[in-house]
Amino acid sequence: MTPTLLLLAIAALGPSPLAATAGGLAHAPRVPHAVKSPRALEAAHGGQPDRATDPVGGSAFAAMVRIPAGRFTPLFGSTDGEVAVSAFRLDRHPVTVAEFAAFVEAYPAWRRGKVKRVFADEGYLRGWHEDLDPGFAGPDDARRPVTDVSWFAARAYCEARGARLPTLDEWEFAAAASEDRPDAFRDAEFNQRLLELYTRPRPQAPVVGTTFENWYGVHDLHGVVWEWVEDFTSVLLSGAGREDAAGTDRKLFCAAGSVGATDTGNYAAFLRYAFRAKLRGAYTGARMGFRCAADA
Amino acid sequence: MRGRRLKRQETARERGRDGALALALALAIASALGATLAVAVIEAGTPAIPDEHAHAASGRPAASTPITDASLYNLDSAWRDGTGEERRLASLAGRVQLVSMVYTHCAHTCPRVLADMKRIEARLGADGAEVGFVLISLDPERDTPERLREFAASVGLDPHRWTLLTGRPADVREVAAVLGVSYRPDGETEIAHTNLIAVLDGAGEIRHRQLGLGGELAETVAAVRSALGRTE
Repeated sequence: MTPTLLLLAIAALGPSPLAATAGGLAHAPRVPHAVKSPRALEAAHGGQPDRATDPVGGSAFAAMVRIPAGRFTPLFGSTDGEVAVSAFRLDRHPVTVAEFAAFVEAYPAWRRGKVKRVFADEGYLRGWHEDLDPGFAGPDDARRPVTDVSWFAARAYCEARGARLPTLDEWEFAAAASEDRPDAFRDAEFNQRLLELYTRPRPQAPVVGTTFENWYGVHDLHGVVWEWVEDFTSVLLSGAGREDAAGTDRKLFCAAGSVGATDTGNYAAFLRYAFRAKLRGAYTGARMGFRCAADA
Repeated sequence: MRGRRLKRQETARERGRDGALALALALAIASALGATLAVAVIEAGTPAIPDEHAHAASGRPAASTPITDASLYNLDSAWRDGTGEERRLASLAGRVQLVSMVYTHCAHTCPRVLADMKRIEARLGADGAEVGFVLISLDPERDTPERLREFAASVGLDPHRWTLLTGRPADVREVAAVLGVSYRPDGETEIAHTNLIAVLDGAGEIRHRQLGLGGELAETVAAVRSALGRTE
């Protein structure tokens, strides 16, 4: 096949993340109508997955959506290129205060009064009135994302459901989607919207499920809470901390040097990676929550 | 009445017999296991573990040192050391430990981390005899217990002071999350990682973190002495 015919064939198949990356286009063509988003497919089948057959659904916990396999370019990756993400399942929205309250009731070791300091710092469940009482001020509070939870606590919660935390790549892959397309991470308009979401001041996090639903049917990935991932320890940035003031990057990091960012327009991703680089497993934060994932 | 009493006596005898059988079986199993372990050690070619470390090798912490709530040793994960023996992190308790996360085929900075740890050991002088040095592998797939042992021998690490550990990837991640080490694959065989030497006290709490390489070691040496309960 001649190069021209090959290019025409690729064009006929529709835009792919590869094409978008290669082109570096600020306004990549929209996904054609023929390709249905997972969320659209689900709506066609009458709504949420059957909780009875969904092992991580359960009556007390939110159902997950299935995110199909794909490829994307992480902002800071091991290489400068694309990574493949296997199909996986992801919570539609962050774990809520009510859900976490049910968890600590069932698992006393994770109550504020009992948790070991190595697993959660002094800020753990800071706003709660008591070990088992989150102190709801109004009816909406139960459905806000739980915050002030550590990585260890988040992992324990997901594990108790037979699930796990999403990996960094999984989370970023899901977060690259806008309402209309899975790969909006190079869309300048989308990036601008996200930046506004991230920098808008909020007195408290909104009730889950109330921010935009993306291509995959997932809510609240942007501007609600920072979210724990399983491998936050894999974020290695030069100049990530005050500690490296004593030496150059080469002294601080083993390897030829940390990999640079792949896309300087993706401001929201910069914020996320910079935030992750400073984390430790016991840390808690007023704007830090999580959601669970599972293998597909 | 008599019948019942006889029955009780018989039962006691039976119990005694059962007990003796059980004991005999237990002894047989123990000696078989012991033999297996002895064979494994001989085949492995490692020097015999001296008595003072027997408690550590068995995975039990020193009786006198409680593990506090902030201790790394609350992680209950199972690891293996250079002898192939299973260890819990709690087996490191009771002794001040300098801990780093490296991998054996790391050509760039890991040798320098090691050099820093050895320099700290030298600077401690007599106090150094009381301190342990721990290397936890970031590459458990390649760093098998055998590989750890070869590596330790090749760079001259005293097995009485140095513990090398390999474990499951998720458990490595937990240790890194506590110590504050970042790491990720870099190409096919390398792992990019922060260079950290952590000082843990006898209870397993972090007393000091030295980031970077070849810097001034005085702070770390001072932290070790402080953890030992000494003043300069």
